[in-house]
Amino acid sequence: MDYYLMQLVNGLSQGAIYALMAIGYATIVGVVGMVTFTHGEVIMIGAYAAFYAFSFFAENLFLGIITSFAASWLLGIVIYKVCYERFFDSPRHIPLICTIGFSMLIKNLAQIVFGPNMKAMPQPIDLGFINVLGVRINTIQILIIVIVISLSTILYIVNSKTRWGIQLRAVSQDKKASALMGINVQRTTMIGNCIGCGLGGVAGMLLAIYYQSILPTMGGVLGLKSFISSVLGGLTNIPAAALGGILIGVTENLGTAFLSNSYRDVFAFVFLVLVLIIKPEGISKKVGGRP
Amino acid sequence: MLEVKNLIVNYGYISALRGIDFEVNKGEIITLIGGNGAGKTTTLMSISNLVPKTDGTIIFEDKDITHLPAHKVVMQGISHVPEGRKIFPALSVRENLITGTFGNKKMTKKDISDNLEKMFVLFPRLKERVNQGGGTLSGGEQQMLAIARGLMMNPDLIMLDEPSLGLAPIIVEEIFELILRIKEEGMTVLLIEQNAAMALQIADRGYVLETGNIIMSGTGKELINDERVRRSYLGD
Ligand SMILES: Nc1ncnc2c1ncn2[C@@H]1O[C@H](COP(=O)(O)OP(=O)(O)O)[C@@H](O)[C@H]1O
Ligand SMILES: [Mg+2]
Repeated sequence: MDYYLMQLVNGLSQGAIYALMAIGYATIVGVVGMVTFTHGEVIMIGAYAAFYAFSFFAENLFLGIITSFAASWLLGIVIYKVCYERFFDSPRHIPLICTIGFSMLIKNLAQIVFGPNMKAMPQPIDLGFINVLGVRINTIQILIIVIVISLSTILYIVNSKTRWGIQLRAVSQDKKASALMGINVQRTTMIGNCIGCGLGGVAGMLLAIYYQSILPTMGGVLGLKSFISSVLGGLTNIPAAALGGILIGVTENLGTAFLSNSYRDVFAFVFLVLVLIIKPEGISKKVGGRP
Repeated sequence: MLEVKNLIVNYGYISALRGIDFEVNKGEIITLIGGNGAGKTTTLMSISNLVPKTDGTIIFEDKDITHLPAHKVVMQGISHVPEGRKIFPALSVRENLITGTFGNKKMTKKDISDNLEKMFVLFPRLKERVNQGGGTLSGGEQQMLAIARGLMMNPDLIMLDEPSLGLAPIIVEEIFELILRIKEEGMTVLLIEQNAAMALQIADRGYVLETGNIIMSGTGKELINDERVRRSYLGD
């Protein structure tokens, strides 16, 4: 029994990371209005930024969060300029293919620049264990959950309580009408895209810490999992995407507990197929999006 | 105040505007009437720079705004209430109204809350629905919201694209009374309408647009009494 409870805790903390990736993903798709396939590489770059910050400066968690967020934010600017900026009036498949190509480029550049092999991720905090009702929880898991909840809360407050949040949501719903309100649509879209990328970057760092390792090709499956988590919320609903991420994390870990570790990634895809069969539009209807 | 010179707009091979000229003076209600597809919406969209112009110049308050990006046009003090309302369905009524203030960077927090109160006096029904999503309002309420949103930034010029479209006659009356009130407050109005009878009654001057050309202009009274206008647009 304890074993399954422990797997549940593992699932929740891994799910929290997936949730953060998915929150970033849903933020991007919501404001840009187009699907992206570069998110995995954004996550990977965030992880490497933290890796180098830990290696060269200090193994300080706060530094890691800032560096990974900033690095992925900057990559977000490039993605915006290359894949979206000139394609808002083009058919949807053009920016989509552009993000696929760009993701391949980053992945391969990363293998050249960072080296193709797996590296050990420095650990910014000491691994300790706490017993909660007989279940052993490690400090990294607690840390992950605290960071994810804090970042989501900040995003929620910015989105729902500030003028800037209203601006971001207006642009997500109707870009032409937003321009008529005096909103700089291009800039708002870019910043929204960058926020989503930054959150993905932090998720990348957390995942590298959690697995204690880092790899240039780690992004592929992670990008897909972000996408799958967001499908649950019609790609743009942020809370539903977060729920999707947690569900996938839990399913994966309980799945490995009942079956075998080699099926780990299968569960996410089974989950996607099930969601698409049962509720093709996600658990909530998509509102607005591209005008 | 607003001067449009030789405005030409093409959508691919379709020419929507073939070189129109008109002007709006401060404090006037100007109406642009014309049938479906005459080019009325295109005129406003190209002033706001949401559709590219093939040729032409737009001068507002002695400033050339022809090539300003859309959001900067708004910042000059031009509010555009678009055809089909275009309110934000997933923003609440209050948030929709707040988006209306992004076009005026000089407004303080107090100006904004004062204007909100003013809109609630003008449109009591919006006050009742202030926390409701914009998408849940009825057509008439959405139009009220769109106009209120356009007024929130205290514009110098407000451009209204068919505010009466698809609304019950009683609500149409309400909206036209409101436009007169807006004028009394010192704002300038550029009103686009298919409902020519109503529009010409309240307008100081009007222009008649037909397949991308202005074919006639005059004061509201002149146009209402004109034989051709009566036949084509007033159904006599
Ligand atoms: N986005 C567009 N693409 C192609 N043609 C358009 C577009 N918008 C309008 N048109 C054409 O331009 C002409 C003028 O349209 P519009 O300005 O909407 O007229 P109105 O508002 O007077 O009904 C019409 O012939 C219409 O079919
Ligand atoms: Mg029209």
